[in-house]
Amino acid sequence: MPRYELALIVKAMQRPETAAVLKRTVEALMERGAVVRNLENLGERSLPYKISKHKERHKRGGYFLIDLEAPPSIVSPMMEHLGRDIDVIRRAFLRHPLAKAEECSGIVPLSPGEKLQKN
Amino acid sequence: MLPALRRCRPGPVPLPALAAALGPGPAPGLSPVPGLCPGWSPRAVPVRGRKTRHDPPSKSKAGRVKLPPPVDPEELLVVQERYRQYRLVLGALRAEFRAEVLQKKQEERLAAQDSVQELEEHRRLMAWNDEENARQQARREERARREEEEQKRRKLEVAEKQARKMKAFLEEKEKEVLQLQEEAKNFITPENLEARIEECLDNPQNYNFAIDKDGRIVKRTVLS
Repeated sequence: MPRYELALIVKAMQRPETAAVLKRTVEALMERGAVVRNLENLGERSLPYKISKHKERHKRGGYFLIDLEAPPSIVSPMMEHLGRDIDVIRRAFLRHPLAKAEECSGIVPLSPGEKLQKN
Repeated sequence: MLPALRRCRPGPVPLPALAAALGPGPAPGLSPVPGLCPGWSPRAVPVRGRKTRHDPPSKSKAGRVKLPPPVDPEELLVVQERYRQYRLVLGALRAEFRAEVLQKKQEERLAAQDSVQELEEHRRLMAWNDEENARQQARREERARREEEEQKRRKLEVAEKQARKMKAFLEEKEKEVLQLQEEAKNFITPENLEARIEECLDNPQNYNFAIDKDGRIVKRTVLS
Protein backbone atom coordinates (compact mmCIF):
# COMPACT_ATOMS: atom_id res chain seq x y z
CA MET A 1 0.00 0.00 0.00
CA PRO A 2 1.36 3.46 -0.67
CA ARG A 3 2.38 5.55 2.26
CA TYR A 4 0.74 8.78 3.11
CA GLU A 5 1.32 11.51 5.59
CA LEU A 6 -1.63 13.24 7.12
CA ALA A 7 -0.59 16.73 8.17
CA LEU A 8 -3.08 18.10 10.63
CA ILE A 9 -3.44 21.50 12.20
CA VAL A 10 -5.67 21.15 15.19
CA LYS A 11 -7.28 23.89 17.24
CA ALA A 12 -5.22 25.01 20.24
CA MET A 13 -6.93 23.09 23.06
CA GLN A 14 -6.17 21.48 26.35
CA ARG A 15 -4.38 18.21 26.40
CA PRO A 16 -7.30 15.86 26.97
CA GLU A 17 -9.31 17.38 24.17
CA THR A 18 -6.38 17.23 21.76
CA ALA A 19 -5.90 13.62 22.76
CA ALA A 20 -9.57 13.00 22.01
CA VAL A 21 -9.29 14.60 18.56
CA LEU A 22 -6.28 12.49 17.74
CA LYS A 23 -7.92 9.38 19.02
CA ARG A 24 -11.02 9.79 16.95
CA THR A 25 -8.99 10.70 13.84
CA VAL A 26 -6.81 7.64 14.16
CA GLU A 27 -9.81 5.45 14.80
CA ALA A 28 -11.58 6.83 11.75
CA LEU A 29 -8.51 6.03 9.71
CA MET A 30 -8.24 2.52 11.03
CA GLU A 31 -11.90 1.98 10.42
CA ARG A 32 -11.40 2.75 6.76
CA GLY A 33 -8.59 0.26 6.53
CA ALA A 34 -5.45 2.30 7.02
CA VAL A 35 -2.45 1.17 9.01
CA VAL A 36 -1.10 3.95 11.19
CA ARG A 37 2.64 3.80 11.59
CA ASN A 38 3.55 6.73 13.69
CA LEU A 39 2.23 9.85 15.28
CA GLU A 40 4.36 12.98 15.51
CA ASN A 41 3.73 16.14 17.38
CA LEU A 42 5.31 19.25 15.91
CA GLY A 43 4.26 21.30 18.86
CA GLU A 44 1.69 23.97 19.49
CA ARG A 45 2.76 26.95 17.42
CA SER A 46 1.35 30.22 16.32
CA LEU A 47 0.00 29.95 12.84
CA PRO A 48 1.76 31.93 10.12
CA TYR A 49 -1.46 33.86 9.53
CA LYS A 50 -4.90 34.01 11.02
CA ILE A 51 -7.09 31.20 9.73
CA SER A 52 -10.87 31.35 9.84
CA LYS A 53 -12.49 27.94 10.04
CA HIS A 54 -15.76 26.64 11.38
CA LYS A 55 -16.87 30.17 12.36
CA GLU A 56 -13.76 30.83 14.43
CA ARG A 57 -10.59 32.82 13.97
CA HIS A 58 -7.47 30.87 14.92
CA LYS A 59 -4.06 32.29 15.80
CA ARG A 60 -2.44 29.23 17.37
CA GLY A 61 -2.74 25.58 16.47
CA GLY A 62 -1.34 22.19 17.22
CA TYR A 63 0.63 20.64 14.39
CA PHE A 64 0.45 16.87 14.07
CA LEU A 65 1.82 14.44 11.54
CA ILE A 66 0.35 10.96 11.06
CA ASP A 67 2.35 8.38 9.05
CA LEU A 68 0.04 5.86 7.55
CA GLU A 69 -0.23 3.17 4.91
CA ALA A 70 -3.58 3.36 3.18
CA PRO A 71 -5.31 2.54 -0.08
CA PRO A 72 -5.72 5.57 -2.34
CA SER A 73 -9.50 5.28 -2.20
CA ILE A 74 -9.37 6.43 1.39
CA VAL A 75 -8.18 9.92 0.66
CA SER A 76 -11.32 11.70 -0.49
CA PRO A 77 -13.71 10.29 2.15
CA MET A 78 -11.18 11.03 4.82
CA MET A 79 -10.75 14.61 3.70
CA GLU A 80 -14.49 15.09 3.81
CA HIS A 81 -14.66 13.55 7.25
CA LEU A 82 -11.94 15.77 8.59
CA GLY A 83 -13.54 18.78 6.96
CA ARG A 84 -16.62 18.15 9.03
CA ASP A 85 -14.61 17.94 12.27
CA ILE A 86 -14.79 21.33 13.95
CA ASP A 87 -11.56 20.87 15.83
CA VAL A 88 -9.47 20.41 12.74
CA ILE A 89 -8.31 23.67 11.21
CA ARG A 90 -6.43 22.31 8.26
CA ARG A 91 -5.87 18.84 6.81
CA ALA A 92 -3.61 17.56 4.08
CA PHE A 93 -2.82 14.15 2.70
CA LEU A 94 0.66 13.93 1.27
CA ARG A 95 2.46 11.10 -0.38
CA HIS A 96 5.23 9.99 1.89
CA PRO A 97 8.59 11.00 0.47
CA LEU A 98 10.25 7.70 -0.45
CA ALA A 99 13.75 7.00 0.70
CA LYS A 100 15.16 6.44 -2.77
CA ALA A 101 15.03 9.87 -4.34
CA GLU A 102 16.72 10.35 -7.71
CA GLU A 103 20.02 12.05 -7.61
CA CYS A 104 19.67 15.42 -9.20
CA SER A 105 22.22 15.80 -11.96
CA GLY A 106 21.76 19.53 -12.21
CA ILE A 107 20.68 21.69 -15.12
CA VAL A 108 22.31 20.49 -18.33
CA PRO A 109 22.79 23.42 -20.73
CA LEU A 110 21.09 22.74 -24.06
CA SER A 111 23.07 22.86 -27.26
CA PRO A 112 21.82 25.34 -29.89
CA GLY A 113 20.35 22.50 -31.94
CA GLU A 114 18.35 21.21 -29.04
CA LYS A 115 17.20 24.72 -28.26
CA LEU A 116 15.86 24.99 -31.79
CA GLN A 117 14.11 21.65 -31.51
CA LYS A 118 12.57 22.53 -28.18
CA ASN A 119 10.57 25.35 -29.75
CA MET B 1 -9.01 -39.88 -103.61
CA LEU B 2 -12.38 -40.30 -105.21
CA PRO B 3 -12.12 -36.91 -106.91
CA ALA B 4 -8.80 -38.18 -108.29
CA LEU B 5 -10.54 -41.33 -109.50
CA ARG B 6 -13.24 -39.25 -111.04
CA ARG B 7 -10.56 -37.43 -112.95
CA CYS B 8 -8.94 -40.69 -114.05
CA ARG B 9 -12.14 -42.27 -115.48
CA PRO B 10 -11.96 -42.43 -119.28
CA GLY B 11 -13.99 -39.50 -120.60
CA PRO B 12 -15.04 -38.76 -124.11
CA VAL B 13 -13.05 -35.55 -124.50
CA PRO B 14 -9.29 -35.20 -123.99
CA LEU B 15 -8.46 -32.38 -121.64
CA PRO B 16 -6.35 -29.98 -123.75
CA ALA B 17 -9.01 -29.80 -126.45
CA LEU B 18 -11.60 -29.15 -123.80
CA ALA B 19 -9.51 -26.45 -122.27
CA ALA B 20 -9.08 -24.79 -125.66
CA ALA B 21 -12.78 -25.12 -126.34
CA LEU B 22 -13.79 -23.59 -123.05
CA GLY B 23 -11.30 -20.77 -123.13
CA PRO B 24 -9.71 -19.29 -120.04
CA GLY B 25 -12.33 -20.72 -117.70
CA PRO B 26 -15.76 -22.31 -117.62
CA ALA B 27 -18.51 -19.91 -118.43
CA PRO B 28 -20.38 -18.76 -115.39
CA GLY B 29 -23.72 -20.46 -115.06
CA LEU B 30 -22.45 -23.69 -116.64
CA SER B 31 -22.73 -26.49 -114.09
CA PRO B 32 -19.72 -28.80 -114.51
CA VAL B 33 -20.68 -32.08 -116.26
CA PRO B 34 -18.78 -34.99 -114.71
CA GLY B 35 -16.06 -36.12 -117.00
CA LEU B 36 -16.33 -33.28 -119.49
CA CYS B 37 -14.69 -30.54 -117.48
CA PRO B 38 -11.36 -30.25 -115.68
CA GLY B 39 -11.98 -31.21 -112.03
CA TRP B 40 -10.46 -27.96 -110.75
CA SER B 41 -10.38 -24.56 -112.27
CA PRO B 42 -8.68 -21.45 -110.98
CA ARG B 43 -11.79 -19.35 -111.36
CA ALA B 44 -14.55 -21.58 -109.98
CA VAL B 45 -17.66 -19.70 -109.05
CA PRO B 46 -20.37 -21.16 -106.76
CA VAL B 47 -23.29 -21.72 -109.04
CA ARG B 48 -26.75 -22.36 -107.64
CA GLY B 49 -28.67 -20.77 -110.41
CA ARG B 50 -31.79 -19.02 -109.30
CA LYS B 51 -32.33 -20.44 -105.83
CA THR B 52 -30.49 -19.72 -102.58
CA ARG B 53 -29.51 -22.38 -100.10
CA HIS B 54 -32.56 -21.65 -98.00
CA ASP B 55 -35.11 -22.47 -100.72
CA PRO B 56 -36.62 -25.97 -100.71
CA PRO B 57 -35.84 -28.37 -103.55
CA SER B 58 -38.35 -28.41 -106.41
CA LYS B 59 -41.04 -31.09 -107.07
CA SER B 60 -39.05 -32.44 -110.00
CA LYS B 61 -36.41 -33.51 -107.49
CA ALA B 62 -38.97 -35.23 -105.27
CA GLY B 63 -37.89 -38.82 -105.90
CA ARG B 64 -34.28 -38.03 -106.55
CA VAL B 65 -31.96 -40.50 -104.99
CA LYS B 66 -28.43 -39.28 -104.87
CA LEU B 67 -26.05 -42.16 -105.31
CA PRO B 68 -22.32 -42.04 -104.72
CA PRO B 69 -20.19 -42.18 -107.77
CA PRO B 70 -19.75 -45.75 -108.97
CA VAL B 71 -16.46 -47.36 -108.11
CA ASP B 72 -14.79 -50.17 -109.95
CA PRO B 73 -13.61 -52.54 -107.22
CA GLU B 74 -10.69 -54.09 -109.13
CA GLU B 75 -9.46 -50.73 -110.23
CA LEU B 76 -9.84 -49.48 -106.69
CA LEU B 77 -7.75 -52.29 -105.33
CA VAL B 78 -5.09 -51.81 -107.97
CA VAL B 79 -4.91 -48.11 -107.38
CA GLN B 80 -4.80 -48.52 -103.61
CA GLU B 81 -1.96 -51.01 -103.91
CA ARG B 82 -0.04 -48.65 -106.16
CA TYR B 83 -0.55 -45.78 -103.80
CA ARG B 84 0.56 -47.86 -100.85
CA GLN B 85 3.75 -48.81 -102.55
CA TYR B 86 4.37 -45.27 -103.67
CA ARG B 87 3.92 -43.86 -100.21
CA LEU B 88 6.08 -46.56 -98.71
CA VAL B 89 8.91 -45.70 -101.06
CA LEU B 90 8.57 -41.99 -100.46
CA GLY B 91 8.50 -42.42 -96.69
CA ALA B 92 11.59 -44.59 -96.82
CA LEU B 93 13.37 -42.05 -98.96
CA ARG B 94 12.52 -39.26 -96.59
CA ALA B 95 13.70 -41.25 -93.59
CA GLU B 96 16.87 -42.04 -95.43
CA PHE B 97 17.55 -38.42 -96.22
CA ARG B 98 16.77 -37.37 -92.67
CA ALA B 99 19.18 -39.93 -91.24
CA GLU B 100 21.82 -38.81 -93.65
CA VAL B 101 21.47 -35.17 -92.69
CA LEU B 102 21.56 -36.03 -89.00
CA GLN B 103 24.65 -38.15 -89.51
CA LYS B 104 26.38 -35.33 -91.34
CA LYS B 105 25.58 -32.92 -88.54
CA GLN B 106 26.89 -35.31 -85.90
CA GLU B 107 30.10 -35.90 -87.76
CA GLU B 108 30.59 -32.19 -88.18
CA ARG B 109 30.00 -31.58 -84.47
CA LEU B 110 32.41 -34.33 -83.46
CA ALA B 111 34.99 -33.14 -85.92
CA ALA B 112 34.67 -29.56 -84.58
CA GLN B 113 35.65 -30.63 -81.06
CA ASP B 114 39.12 -32.09 -80.76
CA SER B 115 37.74 -34.98 -78.87
CA VAL B 116 40.69 -36.10 -76.76
CA GLN B 117 41.79 -32.69 -75.55
CA GLU B 118 38.24 -31.60 -75.00
CA LEU B 119 37.53 -34.59 -72.84
CA GLU B 120 40.71 -34.02 -70.91
CA GLU B 121 39.93 -30.40 -70.27
CA HIS B 122 36.37 -31.27 -69.36
CA ARG B 123 37.57 -33.75 -66.79
CA ARG B 124 40.07 -31.31 -65.36
CA LEU B 125 37.51 -28.57 -65.03
CA MET B 126 35.04 -30.89 -63.43
CA ALA B 127 37.64 -31.92 -60.91
CA TRP B 128 38.44 -28.30 -60.16
CA ASN B 129 34.77 -27.54 -59.76
CA ASP B 130 34.38 -30.38 -57.33
CA GLU B 131 37.30 -29.13 -55.33
CA GLU B 132 35.84 -25.66 -55.17
CA ASN B 133 32.54 -27.05 -54.07
CA ALA B 134 34.16 -29.06 -51.37
CA ARG B 135 36.06 -26.04 -50.13
CA GLN B 136 32.99 -23.88 -50.03
CA GLN B 137 31.13 -26.61 -48.26
CA ALA B 138 33.82 -26.81 -45.63
CA ARG B 139 33.72 -23.06 -45.12
CA ARG B 140 29.97 -23.06 -44.94
CA GLU B 141 29.92 -25.77 -42.38
CA GLU B 142 32.54 -24.03 -40.34
CA ARG B 143 30.55 -20.85 -40.39
CA ALA B 144 27.34 -22.63 -39.50
CA ARG B 145 29.01 -24.36 -36.61
CA ARG B 146 30.49 -21.16 -35.32
CA GLU B 147 27.18 -19.38 -35.56
CA GLU B 148 25.44 -22.15 -33.73
CA GLU B 149 27.95 -21.96 -30.94
CA GLU B 150 27.52 -18.23 -30.83
CA GLN B 151 23.78 -18.65 -30.61
CA LYS B 152 24.04 -21.14 -27.83
CA ARG B 153 26.41 -18.97 -25.93
CA ARG B 154 24.16 -15.97 -26.31
CA LYS B 155 21.15 -17.93 -25.17
CA LEU B 156 22.99 -19.13 -22.14
CA GLU B 157 24.07 -15.62 -21.35
CA VAL B 158 20.58 -14.33 -21.64
CA ALA B 159 19.26 -17.09 -19.45
CA GLU B 160 21.93 -16.41 -16.87
CA LYS B 161 21.21 -12.73 -16.90
CA GLN B 162 17.54 -13.39 -16.42
CA ALA B 163 18.24 -15.71 -13.54
CA ARG B 164 20.49 -13.17 -11.92
CA LYS B 165 17.96 -10.42 -12.32
CA MET B 166 15.26 -12.62 -10.88
CA LYS B 167 17.43 -13.48 -7.91
CA ALA B 168 18.30 -9.85 -7.29
CA PHE B 169 14.68 -8.88 -7.48
CA LEU B 170 13.64 -11.60 -5.09
CA GLU B 171 16.34 -10.60 -2.68
CA GLU B 172 15.18 -7.01 -2.83
CA LYS B 173 11.66 -8.01 -2.09
CA GLU B 174 12.76 -10.26 0.73
CA LYS B 175 14.67 -7.41 2.27
CA GLU B 176 11.75 -5.10 1.97
CA VAL B 177 9.42 -7.61 3.53
CA LEU B 178 11.76 -8.17 6.44
CA GLN B 179 12.17 -4.48 6.94
CA LEU B 180 8.45 -3.99 6.96
CA GLN B 181 8.06 -6.77 9.44
CA GLU B 182 10.54 -5.04 11.68
CA GLU B 183 8.77 -1.74 11.39
CA ALA B 184 5.42 -3.36 11.98
CA LYS B 185 6.36 -3.84 15.58
CA ASN B 186 6.16 -0.09 16.01
CA PHE B 187 2.82 0.45 14.41
CA ILE B 188 -0.08 1.95 16.29
CA THR B 189 -2.77 -0.55 17.17
CA PRO B 190 -6.09 0.06 18.87
CA GLU B 191 -4.57 -1.28 22.07
CA ASN B 192 -1.59 1.02 22.31
CA LEU B 193 -3.38 3.94 20.75
CA GLU B 194 -3.88 5.84 23.98
CA ALA B 195 -0.33 5.24 25.12
CA ARG B 196 1.02 6.37 21.83
CA ILE B 197 -1.07 9.52 21.87
CA GLU B 198 0.15 10.38 25.33
CA GLU B 199 3.69 9.70 24.32
CA CYS B 200 3.29 11.81 21.22
CA LEU B 201 1.83 14.75 23.11
CA ASP B 202 4.66 14.56 25.59
CA ASN B 203 7.40 14.74 22.97
CA PRO B 204 6.99 17.61 20.54
CA GLN B 205 9.30 17.20 17.53
CA ASN B 206 10.95 20.21 16.01
CA TYR B 207 12.33 19.93 12.48
CA ASN B 208 13.42 23.56 12.20
CA PHE B 209 17.08 24.41 12.03
CA ALA B 210 19.23 27.43 11.34
CA ILE B 211 22.17 27.50 8.99
CA ASP B 212 24.65 30.20 8.08
CA LYS B 213 26.91 30.78 5.13
CA ASP B 214 29.76 28.87 6.70
CA GLY B 215 27.59 25.78 6.88
CA ARG B 216 27.11 25.63 10.62
CA ILE B 217 23.77 24.07 11.52
CA VAL B 218 21.85 24.84 14.68
CA LYS B 219 19.10 22.31 15.42
CA ARG B 220 17.86 23.68 18.67
CA THR B 221 15.49 26.49 17.90
CA VAL B 222 12.74 28.20 19.72
CA LEU B 223 9.24 27.03 18.96
CA SER B 224 6.88 29.96 19.01
